[in-house]
Amino acid sequence: MTDIQSATIDRMLRGTISPIDCNEREWEQVLRLARMSGLHGRLAVNNVQNPLLSAPVRRHLLSAARVAKFRSQMLRAELFHLAPLCDKDFPVVLLKGGAYLAQQLHLATGRFVSDVDLLVPRAHLGAMEQRLRAGGWQAVELTAYDERYYRDWSHETPPFRRPGHFLEVDLHHAITPVTGSLNFDPAPLIEASIPLADTPFRVLCAEDQVLHACLHCFHDGDLALRVREVVDIDGLLRTFAQESGFWDRLVRRASQLGLERPLWYGLHYARRWLDCPVPASVPESLSGTPSKITQRCMDTLAPLALLPSNPDTPVPLHVQLARNLMLTRYHLLRMPLRLLLPHLARKAGRRLQTRLNQKSIGAGV
Amino acid sequence: MRQGPCRMLDLGSARIAVSSPIARFHEHLDIVYPHQQTEDPTTFVDVRVSVLPGAPWRIWGRQAHFWSEASQPFEPYPLQNALPLFEWGGNWLLAQRLNAYLLLHAGVVARDDGAIILPAAPGSGKSTLTCALHLAGWRFLSDEFGVVDPASGLVLPLLKPAALKNRSIEVIGTLPGATLGPVFPNTRKGDVAHFVPDRDSFTHRARGAKPRLVIFPRFREGATLTCTRLPSADSAMRLGLNSFNYQTLGPVGFHAVTSLARQTHAYELEYSILDEAIEHIEKLFAEVP
Repeated sequence: MTDIQSATIDRMLRGTISPIDCNEREWEQVLRLARMSGLHGRLAVNNVQNPLLSAPVRRHLLSAARVAKFRSQMLRAELFHLAPLCDKDFPVVLLKGGAYLAQQLHLATGRFVSDVDLLVPRAHLGAMEQRLRAGGWQAVELTAYDERYYRDWSHETPPFRRPGHFLEVDLHHAITPVTGSLNFDPAPLIEASIPLADTPFRVLCAEDQVLHACLHCFHDGDLALRVREVVDIDGLLRTFAQESGFWDRLVRRASQLGLERPLWYGLHYARRWLDCPVPASVPESLSGTPSKITQRCMDTLAPLALLPSNPDTPVPLHVQLARNLMLTRYHLLRMPLRLLLPHLARKAGRRLQTRLNQKSIGAGV
Repeated sequence: MRQGPCRMLDLGSARIAVSSPIARFHEHLDIVYPHQQTEDPTTFVDVRVSVLPGAPWRIWGRQAHFWSEASQPFEPYPLQNALPLFEWGGNWLLAQRLNAYLLLHAGVVARDDGAIILPAAPGSGKSTLTCALHLAGWRFLSDEFGVVDPASGLVLPLLKPAALKNRSIEVIGTLPGATLGPVFPNTRKGDVAHFVPDRDSFTHRARGAKPRLVIFPRFREGATLTCTRLPSADSAMRLGLNSFNYQTLGPVGFHAVTSLARQTHAYELEYSILDEAIEHIEKLFAEVP
């Protein structure tokens, strides 16, 4: 990564927290990196009021702020339609974007939402699915293999969508894949969840929201361009740090649930990239500190994978390599090899098949 | 990978920069953007893309890839169709980013500073009519996007060439004074050729116009010309339906659409003969207070 690129990323990330000062040319670069990372809405809400902006820059920020606002509105609408399906029979917990918005957290403003995530106890998963179907939501059609993948190995059901609605609903019965090395019973999360005033929904307690965000960012996927999730972690930490005793509770909870490693990564990169005011004693007191070698590997690969690459060129090979290594790491965390290898072989075979099909269709034009 | 020369296109309400090493593509740009001066490609632009050639050893023919911010939002096209790929890709990106404005799917022409907006669904003869009006002396503001500034109520130029499809290529191409780019046969949308607006329209690319007339055109083979005045509530509904971002803009979109409908006269116009349609539109424009 060049110095200019990393300085621009740094500026862009600062801009998601507070107003930044740069010229029009620099703004173009900042906007491009923000779009690549899905952070232009956050950038917009923090900067659109700046009276010194040039007209084109203000237009872009206004545009991004409006899109983010629209999507939040669609999220509110979806929650409005979901509310009648939830009663006191069993808890329904909002996760991530839905929870941030419903709690009116500062970080929800300008944050792009793509779906609604709900967590219900596994025993009531069937009932909740039943209610969604009765309410007009339909499960996205999947092949038998994908269906089984979701059912047996994943921690969520296939996504639901109600015709004419803007957002998908993802129904979770755990926050980790059931086959993964960090797999644990989500009962304590639901037990500690908090009811949301004037709604039938619940949200995870503050510490669990942070832990879930860390787990999702560092243990759920290839990490490509996931810097926005580090921005979420930073936002949650800044908000909840206002509550007295938060840091102690966070560390205790992480060790209770066995999530010290993902928390360590979350704190590490939130401090490193966003100057998150984490007391130095907190990461030190975590028992999940990675070894020096692992840290060095992560510090080399994570910026390449999570942060945006040069917007002017196709993704360079070393970045692709870093993202593939991170994907490999994720797969290994998610499934034992005896499940993983046949799964990947099948996916690769299917990709090849779609590609061949596309070629024979697309050969004309 | 070699990015090739970069050029900046100033469209009035937006600017696009494109880099490409494909010489033919640059020749095509010269034809369909003939009035663009060489501008500093490093100034702020709304959309910055590259059109890059794919691998030379591909069995099914070489392709052009549309790159925006290190990703490809579209499937590649055959190499010789780089221009239509750039035009459509650029439009798609502009639609994502210009939510400061109400974006109508409409052609826009103006005389002095009074504008006619022609919103319509694809296939209704909107581009044909817009180009024909331009050739009959109206200033060309845009074909694909009707860009309305909710703050001022003005409609702004977005001066891109109009993509004519199939039969309209011949209809417009044979009119006196028409300049068209090369025909790209058998693209995903059929045959496509780009109509080039005149120098005067380019010179006035930064000058907005006040909407006076809204015409919803509908071409129907063999139809006799019929023209129906629409109540402003109907006009507002239809403007909303013919907008790319009415929903996204929320209350801003609602106010933009209703105030546009209030300050204009709106008509539905069914036609089969271009000259008759133009003559009728001239008459309607003269009647607007």
